[in-house]
Amino acid sequence: MGVSWRKHKSSRATGSRWWLPALPVALFLAGWQLLAGVNLINPSLFPPPTEIASELAELYTSGLPTRSLLIGHVTATLSRLLVASVIGILSGTLAGALMGISSRLYRFFDPLITVLMPVPGIAMAPLFIVWLGFGDPTIIALGSIAAFFPLAYNTAAGVRSIDPQLVRAARMMEAGKGTLLFDVYLPWAAGYVLVGVKLGLARCWRTIIAVEFIAAASWGLGYMIWDAAEYLRAGVVYGGIFLLIIIYFVIEKGLVNTLEKFTVERWGMVQR
Amino acid sequence: MGKAIIEVQDVHKVFDQGAAQVEALGGVTLDIHEGEFTVLIGPSGCGKSTLLYLMAGFEQPTAGRILLDGREIAGPGPDRGFVFQDYALFPWKTVLGNVMFGLIHNGWSKSEAQRVAQEYINLVHLGGFENAYPHTLSGGMKQRVGIARALAYNPKVLLMDEPFGALDAQTRKHMQRELVDIWDKTHKTVVFVTHSVIEAVFLADRIVVMTARPGTVKGIVDVDMARPRDYTGEAFLAVRRRVLNLLEEEVEKEIRLQEQAGEV
Amino acid sequence: MNGDSGRAAAKSIVEFLFPFLVVGLLWELAVRLHLVGMEMLPSPSVIVGKLWTLTIRGVLLHHLASSLYRLAIGYVLAVGLGIIVGVALASRRLLREMFAPVLSMLISVPTIAWVPVLLITMGLGDRTVITAVFLGGFFAITYNTMRGIEMVNQGQLNAARIMGVSGWRLFVEVLLPASLVSVITGLRLGIGYSWRALVGGEMLSALVEWGIGKMVYQARFWNDVAVMLMGLLIIGFSGFLLDRVLLKWLERETVEKWGMLAKR
Ligand SMILES: Nc1ncnc2c1ncn2[C@@H]1O[C@H](COP(=O)(O)OP(=O)(O)OP(=O)(O)O)[C@@H](O)[C@H]1O
Ligand SMILES: [Mg+2]
Repeated sequence: MGVSWRKHKSSRATGSRWWLPALPVALFLAGWQLLAGVNLINPSLFPPPTEIASELAELYTSGLPTRSLLIGHVTATLSRLLVASVIGILSGTLAGALMGISSRLYRFFDPLITVLMPVPGIAMAPLFIVWLGFGDPTIIALGSIAAFFPLAYNTAAGVRSIDPQLVRAARMMEAGKGTLLFDVYLPWAAGYVLVGVKLGLARCWRTIIAVEFIAAASWGLGYMIWDAAEYLRAGVVYGGIFLLIIIYFVIEKGLVNTLEKFTVERWGMVQR
Repeated sequence: MGKAIIEVQDVHKVFDQGAAQVEALGGVTLDIHEGEFTVLIGPSGCGKSTLLYLMAGFEQPTAGRILLDGREIAGPGPDRGFVFQDYALFPWKTVLGNVMFGLIHNGWSKSEAQRVAQEYINLVHLGGFENAYPHTLSGGMKQRVGIARALAYNPKVLLMDEPFGALDAQTRKHMQRELVDIWDKTHKTVVFVTHSVIEAVFLADRIVVMTARPGTVKGIVDVDMARPRDYTGEAFLAVRRRVLNLLEEEVEKEIRLQEQAGEV
Repeated sequence: MNGDSGRAAAKSIVEFLFPFLVVGLLWELAVRLHLVGMEMLPSPSVIVGKLWTLTIRGVLLHHLASSLYRLAIGYVLAVGLGIIVGVALASRRLLREMFAPVLSMLISVPTIAWVPVLLITMGLGDRTVITAVFLGGFFAITYNTMRGIEMVNQGQLNAARIMGVSGWRLFVEVLLPASLVSVITGLRLGIGYSWRALVGGEMLSALVEWGIGKMVYQARFWNDVAVMLMGLLIIGFSGFLLDRVLLKWLERETVEKWGMLAKR
């Protein structure tokens, strides 16, 4: 039971306090706007929110009849995310399942994974630039690797936690190797796999943005932010980060939670 | 019979449960006598724990008041000890550390606290386990630590909320006998909550039977029998029947439950 | 007994290093048989040679020391402030309702994405990197501290309160150890984020000359793949050691020893 250690007065009116979290944000933005307006903080380093908004709007309209610059950056990043996360999630799940089933494989690959996991994607970027050049191949490769590790790690942990009774029961029904993997091991590990998907997607996203800083040819949100920083266009930098927050919020709330609803929650494996 | 150490005066307790309100206690008036072993019994959800929590000061009554030694209870304090159903031991402290906790924080010096704690650890037959961490102990042993921890700093009143509720039938019987031994040695004022009529009759000087929610006092049964009591004796069965009669419509259910639990 | 545990530790270290040996040998073989080009993938022997020369010239140590210095400052700040803010959010309902949603949104921002902002506002040097390290750890530690304190067992708190413990002592003696499982989770996540932010920050900050991230980044200008690979291995092993040796040790000596891990 999650109860705060201070006695709550009563939990009255929890429903009507939705505006509370908006309050500090609104105050923060208003204060920023005001201070930048009277030059108390340097508006070229901290451009007021209105200017950030107009910078974003300008990016959106520039090049519009054919292709909006802003939309171009966003779609570049999102399509990389899509490709990289699919590759990483599928290969990671498969590798994790194999590691989970065979403890010999597990003992061999676990040390390699634990050492490679803390290496940030951006650190591998120089190497991959040498190998694959600037642009999509490098970004997608590093994004896939980023998603791969959490999936492999969590799937392996999930499969290893399987109830041996279940395997025995399935063997009794003369389930083949494939049936065993897809009908017993993976559904059992589904909760773990989903946690892995959540983490993997987050890492993939982080890595793609970071690698776009130094390895993108000319498109992508990371590139846009980095380019703006080089030319000291602070408005675009802040606007870009704002977009990162919004986009990831939508991805996480929309995609991951839906996925959860359609799998493990329906099987009653997680409590809400 | 001692004087009233706790006076519960027309206490009501209403909980907010989201939009709804639940009246847990609907006007309880009750005296707890000094040096007596009082047992609260009643149907599930009738507010036994709530009443005990109010005496402990973890919660405040919605209306009415509770006096301890003539003063209104303002909050929890070391003049009372509490034994929890789920033990609520500190897993980061050893058995000794748990039992010393209340002493250290109430002015005992470290060496003195250690000596007193050791005494109570011996009292609950846990000598040799001083340096064990709680997670290595069985349920029965954990609750002995809970009892030693609550007794060690010598509170005036010991409040026990279904302390043996999580134990298996065998261990439970054993713990009941040990509690009687301990009580014989200390003659502490005890308020003890239980579901089990047999447990109540085995332990109590006075059994307070509560009504279904909102809880009030339905009746009080005095138990005047020498300890240790014989579960199968004539007098025991008679008291048990009286309590069961008071529990009325709970009778059938209660007996069936106890038969299932193998207590008869 | 001591020799036994020593032998077990040695065995587990050998088991840990074995896969690296196998991969290294296969890799060496592939290069020697000209299956891959030397400029694209220098052999392990070349990398080890590079490691040796950079070590005896003291270059590597200088890089590592600069990195660890930034990590230490940024991470210690993150731990201190993260715990304080986490506790504040958990204990004041109003604060939590106001800031928890903002916090969970800020957590989702890749730490590295703050670096351009920091480069603009704090310059191209050390301050930016240290702030990035701080931000990386801070959010994870704050969030997990908050969660940990929210989920503290109410019984343990009540047990402490009735023994007369409140305020600062309640915090130190009960709240912190009771939420330690989650706090340590935060510390472990935090050092991972901090470590990655450190490497990324060093790479992106133009005026930073030393640091393990910088070493990898600079190798790009000479197309020195051997140094890149060596750097990656060092980054991986150091990150691993920080977590496993430092924090895993803390976990083993506290919550694991107290049996608090299994229950979650
Ligand atoms: N903190 C609380 N918030 C809201 N409702 C509560 C709270 N504590 C108790 N209640 C409600 O008050 C009523 C009485 O609860 P209480 O725990 O005192 O009953 P009980 O007699 O101890 O039951 P049991 O025999 O099951 O332990 C129940 O309906 C319960 O749901
Ligand atoms: Mg109860």
